[in-house]
Amino acid sequence: MSDTRSDLDSLRRAWALAGPLRGRVARGVAFRFLQSMMLGMSFGAVVWVIAGLAQGRALTGVWIWQVTGLMALSLAGQLLFGWLSVRDSWMSSYEMAGDLRLRILDHLRRLPLGFHQARHRGDTVTVLTSDMQMLESFFSDGLPRIAQALGLPLAVFAVLMVQDWRVGLASVVSVALALPVFFGTSRHLSRLGIRRQDMQAEAGARMIEYVQGMAVIRAFNQVARGQESFRRAIDDFRDISVRMVVQLTAPMAVFGMVVMLGVPLVLWLAGARVEAGLMAPATAITALVLVLSMYRPLLALLGVMESVRMADASLVRMDRVLTAPPLPEAATEAPRGFDLRFDGVSFAYRPGETVLHDISFTVPERSMTAIVGPSGSGKSTILNLIPRFWDASSGRITIGGADVARIGEAVLSDLVTVVFQDVYLFNGSIRQNIAIGRPDAAQADIEQAARAAQAHDFIMALPEGYDTQVGEGGASLSGGERQRVAIARAILKDAPIVLLDEATAAIDPINERAIQTALARLVQGRTLIVVAHRLSTIQSADRILVLDKGRIVEQGRHEDLLARDGLYARLWSHRARAAGWRIGR
Amino acid sequence: MSRVDTATGAAPAPDDGARPDFFSSLRLLLRQGQGTGPVLALSAVLATLAVALELVPVWAVWRAVSAWAAGVGVPWLRLAAITALAVIAGAALMGTALALSHLAAFRLIHALRLALARHLARLPMGWFQGRRSGGAKRLIVDEPERMELIIAHGLPEGVSALTTWAAVTIWLIAVDWRMALAAIVLTPVSFALVIAAMGRQAAMVGEYQRQSERMNGAIVEYLAGMPVIKIFNRTGAALSETARAVRDYAAVETGMGRSFLPMGAAFYTLVGANICVILPAGMLMMRAGWIDLPTLCFFVILGANYSQPLLKLFNLFHNMAHISMASTLIAEVLKTPAQPDTGARVALPDHAIAFEDVGFGYGAHEVLHSVSFTASAGGITALVGPSGSGKSTVASLIPRLYDPQAGRVTMGGVDLRDIGLDQLMEQVAFVFQQTFLFSGTIGENIRFGKHDATEAELHTAARAARAHDFIMALPNGYDTGLGEGGASLSGGERQRIAIARAILKDAPVIVLDEATAFADPDSEAAIQEALTELAQGRTLIMVAHRLHTIMGADRIVVMDRGRVAEMGRHDELVAQGGLYARLWADYTAARAIPLRRQEAAE
Repeated sequence: MSDTRSDLDSLRRAWALAGPLRGRVARGVAFRFLQSMMLGMSFGAVVWVIAGLAQGRALTGVWIWQVTGLMALSLAGQLLFGWLSVRDSWMSSYEMAGDLRLRILDHLRRLPLGFHQARHRGDTVTVLTSDMQMLESFFSDGLPRIAQALGLPLAVFAVLMVQDWRVGLASVVSVALALPVFFGTSRHLSRLGIRRQDMQAEAGARMIEYVQGMAVIRAFNQVARGQESFRRAIDDFRDISVRMVVQLTAPMAVFGMVVMLGVPLVLWLAGARVEAGLMAPATAITALVLVLSMYRPLLALLGVMESVRMADASLVRMDRVLTAPPLPEAATEAPRGFDLRFDGVSFAYRPGETVLHDISFTVPERSMTAIVGPSGSGKSTILNLIPRFWDASSGRITIGGADVARIGEAVLSDLVTVVFQDVYLFNGSIRQNIAIGRPDAAQADIEQAARAAQAHDFIMALPEGYDTQVGEGGASLSGGERQRVAIARAILKDAPIVLLDEATAAIDPINERAIQTALARLVQGRTLIVVAHRLSTIQSADRILVLDKGRIVEQGRHEDLLARDGLYARLWSHRARAAGWRIGR
Repeated sequence: MSRVDTATGAAPAPDDGARPDFFSSLRLLLRQGQGTGPVLALSAVLATLAVALELVPVWAVWRAVSAWAAGVGVPWLRLAAITALAVIAGAALMGTALALSHLAAFRLIHALRLALARHLARLPMGWFQGRRSGGAKRLIVDEPERMELIIAHGLPEGVSALTTWAAVTIWLIAVDWRMALAAIVLTPVSFALVIAAMGRQAAMVGEYQRQSERMNGAIVEYLAGMPVIKIFNRTGAALSETARAVRDYAAVETGMGRSFLPMGAAFYTLVGANICVILPAGMLMMRAGWIDLPTLCFFVILGANYSQPLLKLFNLFHNMAHISMASTLIAEVLKTPAQPDTGARVALPDHAIAFEDVGFGYGAHEVLHSVSFTASAGGITALVGPSGSGKSTVASLIPRLYDPQAGRVTMGGVDLRDIGLDQLMEQVAFVFQQTFLFSGTIGENIRFGKHDATEAELHTAARAARAHDFIMALPNGYDTGLGEGGASLSGGERQRIAIARAILKDAPVIVLDEATAFADPDSEAAIQEALTELAQGRTLIMVAHRLHTIMGADRIVVMDRGRVAEMGRHDELVAQGGLYARLWADYTAARAIPLRRQEAAE
């Protein structure tokens, strides 16, 4: 965010987001205003009494009763409107936060997966939790406070204008003078606030690095140096905080001061006019009593300014999610067969940074294609385009002759299974996790898939078998076990096309053997594209695509490619050498 | 820069059952000292003076009103001038008070953060186990930030609110105690109401927290599982589950709001409605002849906002209760004892590492049972075993990332705990499974263990680690930054930088924790060459899954469920036909399984 919105623009944006609840939000604000006016009514009574007494009106029992009645009415009105206002404001803000959360959640699932991969997951979580809370409290608290801060002063101003327009005008002079200070300060505050937030984020990042690197810091005996960068970050943060205070305390104090200078101004004007005989003392009394209650609520606006500014920062972050364009959806083509074609496909994650250039290849039905290449050559990106985690920037990807972008989400998902390097399991039972693609699967089918994935035995050894809870992200299982559960769920899904990103990380031999057996079972008889690292996988492929810097530089079978003595031959010899290495001297 | 004043609040965020220690954060911060005591005292005094000056306009208006009511002349020019001066002086004093308190707050928080960071560095690594680094950020960055409120606003505003409240109360009573009663009668009523309202809410707080956690958990899972959700076309189901959590949360929020509403809303009204009692009561007392018109004016003017300072204090305490939970947590961290360090320099005859009956556990869960073996000086010792057998834990005891709970680990016959940490760290280089590089430049990272290394030494180490060539190919060479927006290196390249770092450190004992596990396959050969260089003439202890890499080891220690199952050379162990033989068989079989057998494809 380079520049900042004015308070008014933020209000407008928040208002737009309130959607169908606008009516209730507005009612809450209106009731708050009415509550404020009812309080104003009791100040009206004050004026009536004091001015009357000053003019020598007799203090009769009837008058006392009238005033008491008026006060009772004012109090009852305040209680009623206060209750109505709080009810409408709170309830609508809770409902709005809930609705908005649902809207964002729904929007999130329509976004390309790339959107989620490109940003910190924590940022999106923040939007849905603390940012939403900020907006909620703006609607339940901040907005009504603005109404309250303005209600009584407006009532007082009206009374003053009726009593003596010169004094009335004098009472708003100070407010008018203070307003530019207010808006200027608010603008400035938000600009500095954003810088400060960035610095806080920086200090946070340094801290995370410090803690994550703690083992290294210790192992290299570098505690003092490790702290240095963190210290620099919090130094900077302290300095901008100090600067912020120095730059803001003065204008804020000036705002309060200018507003309150209205009191001596009115005092001076009223005094002069009474002495000159232009104004009755009773009117002067009224003006002075009222003017005191006029300014105090206005000063509360300073607090609201803070709340508007924080809500605005939250709104900006929310908009980043809400304005991200969803994947276009159109189910207009039906695939005939399961062969896969890339036709002149290029792709860039960001404009100008093309990572795939003009990729064309064909994968016949039920054949196996291995993609190899140096790291960063775009291997995984090719896999990501097939299930539309991203859409190709140009060119076409087809399955059975149909463009993947026109097949429709449900059909495409039925056609393609992806086995990731990092396995994610959901918080639930093993059974639920295996059956995720087919929630109505019979126990026998689930077990069969688990057997094929070499997972049945370890599952049965768990205390609760298939009903064992895996914990968040599958935390209660070992890495190898998680992987086998993930393979079981892919087997149960039974899609004709399998995309596999072969694991590079070493795992213990017992698990590795089980996983290899399970994978071999999964890919049997399917169209397979694999980002391959293992020599035996590469060797057994029907076709090998050799990628370098986003282009296909060679393709063919293992023996042919070796004979060509190009990049593939070089990669192969590297890996063969690595596979034979042993430590020793 | 948050402000405390809320005339009408959102539903007060619920406190949990435990009685909060309101002043814990204040104590924690003030303990940091930094010479801020006098500054804060001055700030409180100035704020009190400023608030006292706020009463001057009230006094002036009262003087003028009384005089007009009595029909006498008003020294309006003098009153206006005094008021104007008081307003200006008050603003200046309050501004100064807040500026001072903010500066003190920033200084104190800065000191607290540094103290925390320093203390973390001295804690045993075990403390970090099971804690996410995000948690530490919250502890050091976010929570202290919230304490700013207490020092910067709470202290001056709290002290001044308290003094104003006391002063106004005394003034009111001094002028007329009967009117004073009428002026303040609504205040205890309203506070009784809010306490009752919060009591009604208290029963639902547990449920609120549960739902709030459930919703957060559901949202995190929804986002973390998005790739799987998409692939299995479960977006509808996943959304509806998360949506249920969102709706339940909104429902419990609404329920809490409803239970707070009747009395809570009345509180917010009554706390500002003293005028409604003052005027009728004043008229009655005037008729009874107890008070005169100026006195009535005085009460109308001063009594109308009687509850304001109390409301301020109420909100302040509410905030302090919330922040105190965090500060209690921080205080506990600061109290956690640091890792013992003799600081001694010990003469070591050689660099053989011996484990003697070592038992160790993370918390109550013991993961190593009576582990004994010796890694001979200058020899290669490999640690192998199924996942979860304790290999990496054994490795981590050598640089004292943890201390054993039973038995001892020795270097050259000396218990590691008797060697000063400084000396121990000079002896041991540890290459981790997951490479961690700092966000500085590549050169800085390699120099991490020896920052006075010359350019030539730096390049020699990088060459030995097979890193020099790819570093020189980067636009800025060794000065290439690795932080955000810096060069993105492959896992294998990062690992080679880490190895260069260890080579430059030149320690006699090297511990490799599955150092090639996360390397990209094309880097593996280079990393292996680098490791060979690193191991030259040193005591090497390595954890390995890829068994062929350790066939030449002098000794292989086979771990199983936290115990040493077998020990020996590769050939002996294979011949023995035990666990290692099985691992070896699985390993060779796994390497040979093709993803697709030719016949299966038909």
